Amino acid sequence: MNIEFFFFILINGLSQGMVLFIVASGLSLVFGVLRVINFAHGSLYMMGAFLAFSVSTLLNTESLFSFILLMVVVPPAIALLGLGLEIPLFRRIYGKEHLLQLLLTYALLLILDDVCRLVWGGDIRNVARPELLAGSINFFGQYLPTYNVFILVVGPLIALGLWLLLYRTRSGNLIRAAVTQPEMLGALGVNVATVMTGTFVLGCWLAGLGGVFMSALANIDLGVGMEKIIECFAVVVIGGLGSVGGALLGSLIIGLGVSFIQLSLSRLAIIFPYIAMALILIIRPWGLFGKPER
Amino acid sequence: MKGHSKILIGILSFLFVAGMTLASNASAEDTIRIGWTADMPGVGATFYESQKKALELFFEETNAAGGILGKKLKLIIRDSKLKPDVGATMARELILNEKCEFLIGPTSSGVALAVTKVAKEFKKIVYFHTSNTEKLTTTDFQPYMFQVVPNTGIEGRGIAMFLSKKPYKRYCYIGPDYAYAHSQWDAFKKNLLKLKPDVQILKAVWSKLGETNYAPYIPTLMAKNPEVIYTSLWGGGLSSFIKQAKPYGLFKKSSITSLYDLDMMRATGKDMPEGLLGYTRCPFYAVNTLDMQVFVEKYHKKYNEWPSDWACMAYDGMIALTTAMKKANSDKSEDVVKVLGGLRYASLRGSRYIRAEDHMANVGLYVGYTAKDPKYKKFLILKDVVEVPAEKVWLPIAEVKRLQAK
Repeated sequence: MNIEFFFFILINGLSQGMVLFIVASGLSLVFGVLRVINFAHGSLYMMGAFLAFSVSTLLNTESLFSFILLMVVVPPAIALLGLGLEIPLFRRIYGKEHLLQLLLTYALLLILDDVCRLVWGGDIRNVARPELLAGSINFFGQYLPTYNVFILVVGPLIALGLWLLLYRTRSGNLIRAAVTQPEMLGALGVNVATVMTGTFVLGCWLAGLGGVFMSALANIDLGVGMEKIIECFAVVVIGGLGSVGGALLGSLIIGLGVSFIQLSLSRLAIIFPYIAMALILIIRPWGLFGKPER
Repeated sequence: MKGHSKILIGILSFLFVAGMTLASNASAEDTIRIGWTADMPGVGATFYESQKKALELFFEETNAAGGILGKKLKLIIRDSKLKPDVGATMARELILNEKCEFLIGPTSSGVALAVTKVAKEFKKIVYFHTSNTEKLTTTDFQPYMFQVVPNTGIEGRGIAMFLSKKPYKRYCYIGPDYAYAHSQWDAFKKNLLKLKPDVQILKAVWSKLGETNYAPYIPTLMAKNPEVIYTSLWGGGLSSFIKQAKPYGLFKKSSITSLYDLDMMRATGKDMPEGLLGYTRCPFYAVNTLDMQVFVEKYHKKYNEWPSDWACMAYDGMIALTTAMKKANSDKSEDVVKVLGGLRYASLRGSRYIRAEDHMANVGLYVGYTAKDPKYKKFLILKDVVEVPAEKVWLPIAEVKRLQAK
């Protein structure tokens, strides 16, 4: 393999990992603060993708502007849906036993998936890439889809934004405090319930955004939610549940791992995320960036 | 209270009996009832829509011209839901309750294998126009069946034969990792290597079943720099693969060969690269017969769209079935079945016949290269199309008999 091809695979794998990161960071964030593994996270992502499809057919243009509009409009809609789920449902299960949480979020997964089936049906859909991003960039003799490069630029920006939000703002301080010291936070007069709701909504926003990116990267059908939640689990298990940095590392490991293993051992690539997850569970059960349970 | 419920039961039983009489009246002797076990949902939806349009067109124009043997045709549709057990139940229902004398098959081969068993049990003729497993004419053959779509054997051996005559030497494969795709690839490889031993098989890439994101797989194919990529992907999956692989420049050097039916071409639209080598089962634009031309004009006028391969073949099956009825001078399956073997009919694809041994119509495969055509604004078609005749690639009769005896 020559060096150009190596970089080509690297970039291709990174762009795959970036989309995974956007979705998985939401899942990880929600777990970190709320201690709930949200099985329905993948379904919210899928709804974001389908919603992006519907809005794009309404807009009916392939301009960059309308795609940016999708990125602005769809994630808040999914966040709003998250708000509608958090207040009546999720709030009741914080701190409850895991089985109860599992029942609720799994039931939600089934309900949301069937809502998608009712609204959008079983057809394969996708969002047309905006004209500016539809072509390819010549990368040392290899063609690289412009859209993948676009994701590679936007993905780290979102990671950076998330980092700034968590570490450089008051809301971020509150969220991080809620992870480690929820009782103390409450004692200081902070409305912990609001912080939790805010975090959940942020997680849903990320799921929606991931959906928008994916809708133009690949095709979407009723299976993508389930597929993505499994990948996300692998990511957060590898990176450490609750750690956004871990989600980034985990996503890149899976994105790059699949891309490079695919080259020589095609059939192994499909099961790579599971092997990586199993290995981490054996060696370091709390994940690379995680902390052992208190 | 008790009196009331007695009256209610009385009314209900009256309605029930009245309903039954009405239902049996409807199946009176002046119509020929034909039941269709269609696959309506999911991946079957697009197929179903165009098959239905073609069948309705056939029934309408045949009835307007006085019907068959002086009787009107009536189409009764049930949803098999792509599930073999549902398909079998629906076939039974169509025969027993709806008094259908003939059946039209579904889209899915799995459902077709279940329906053909029911047809055999009740001795009612069924024809298959889209589901194309070769088993229908071999291991699962029964005489109350005929097939007007090139089956998997004709397709697989046909494309291998075509490719073997071309100068291509470097081959790759991509397909979903499940049993059917593995056996399809093994059979293709075997056929191709037999015909052209100096072919190089560079790499087989196996994707997840139902994969929507092909980005990780594409560079693997690029690394091998093949001339032809053979694939088991079809329909929506193939369309998304092509759309995703195009910006990688994959098709600047390689062609991808698969089933390029009209629905797939429409779904891919202008993203379809030019010059790719593909095949299809019954392309309206490449079949130069008067019958096809007339059919296409009628279809386009009525629905304002072009007929897919599935539409043409569903329609074609009705031509064969009604030709058989006229030849047998009967609208009963038990009489019509006697004339099926060797029946010649005026197919949209020209004069065709049904082989006596396996009731396979001699329908071949159409192979060509993708190209734009000013007549069709929204999709590409195949140009320089040649037909690989069924006679060259269908199973020899000895082999058919061996498989049927199993």
